[in-house]
Amino acid sequence: MTETIAERTDEELAREARAGSRRSFDELARRYKRRLFVYLRPRLGSDEDAEDLVQDTFLKLYRNIGGYDPAFKFSTWLYTSANRLAIDSFRRRAAEKGQPVAERDLDIPDPAAGVGEGSDASGLWKEARTLGGDRFRVLWLRYGEDLSVEEIAAVLGRTRLAVRVLLHRARTSLAGRLGPDQRPMPRTAAAGQAIRD
Amino acid sequence: MWCTLSRWLISRTEDTGKSLPRFAGRHVRGCGACGEFARTATTLSSRLRSERSAWLAGVPDFAVESGPDATPMPAAKAGAHEQRRSWLALRPLPVAAAATVIVAGALILFQVVLKEPAPTTEDRAAAMASLKTITSAPKGWQGVVRQAESPLDEERRILEKSVSSAVEYLQARLNIRIERREPQKPL
Repeated sequence: MTETIAERTDEELAREARAGSRRSFDELARRYKRRLFVYLRPRLGSDEDAEDLVQDTFLKLYRNIGGYDPAFKFSTWLYTSANRLAIDSFRRRAAEKGQPVAERDLDIPDPAAGVGEGSDASGLWKEARTLGGDRFRVLWLRYGEDLSVEEIAAVLGRTRLAVRVLLHRARTSLAGRLGPDQRPMPRTAAAGQAIRD
Repeated sequence: MWCTLSRWLISRTEDTGKSLPRFAGRHVRGCGACGEFARTATTLSSRLRSERSAWLAGVPDFAVESGPDATPMPAAKAGAHEQRRSWLALRPLPVAAAATVIVAGALILFQVVLKEPAPTTEDRAAAMASLKTITSAPKGWQGVVRQAESPLDEERRILEKSVSSAVEYLQARLNIRIERREPQKPL
């Protein structure tokens, strides 16, 4: 029975793309564009900036696909590239504005994310997006992409301990925002809960 | 303090799969807030995983151009080609310097070889004569060699003499005949 392109693993598709298959590359782009978008969006000022960065990531990937090593997970490779591009882009924009930029400046929580959207099936992720750049990123890589602590450390260029600390802080913050029914509380109630804790 | 430590250990359990230490387990059973944290941490991973697709479905779709050309070159070859091209483009000065050194070296070498005049007949005769003087050892040298060899010869003669007298004694005493064997050929 012939395996359809949708059934192939990311690593198989990346191997084929490396050998010159445009179709496999397009399938990879289709699988990952939204995932990259939600990962990059909290760092950037607008949806358009996030889309541009996703586009840049895939262009970079297209140019460098010959350097992909199938021994490693494709997602780790992709997110590492995206992460570097995001940092470069952030620094470039800061330099254009004449502001010095530190790594911690990349952790600004997305103020537009998750406001008043806490009751549907994806409420927990919307709440997670308001935690702040690094905390959201580790949660996404851990539970959105199923990467191990070691793989997340490689993507973010941090130590394993630093990743575990970030994951712990993200869990603690997120747990503090959940009500007794384990659903995200409205903002004011969450703030009150945090004060009581 | 116990709450902070216990919650860190609960998180560690989630990330590494290590079991919760007994003292932390006892604390979690006794502390309502830490018990709540443990329950949340356990359910958080499954909830985040299950809500992932619903959240992604809410992200507006957008087009991604994956490459500049409609029919790209095989990626691996294209990458290698581009690498070579960029190497040359980024380092024109070292490449030019290396090329100049190679050309200059080749020119000097050729000039030295070509400008060296061919030996004349007289030169050859003189060279042959000096070669003969080198190969024919001076008479004094032969004496030196002999002098160096003579103590060894002397030693050998004394040794032979003592061996043959010992042989004669044995022949006379035991009434036997001992013959000298021819020296063995080396293997």
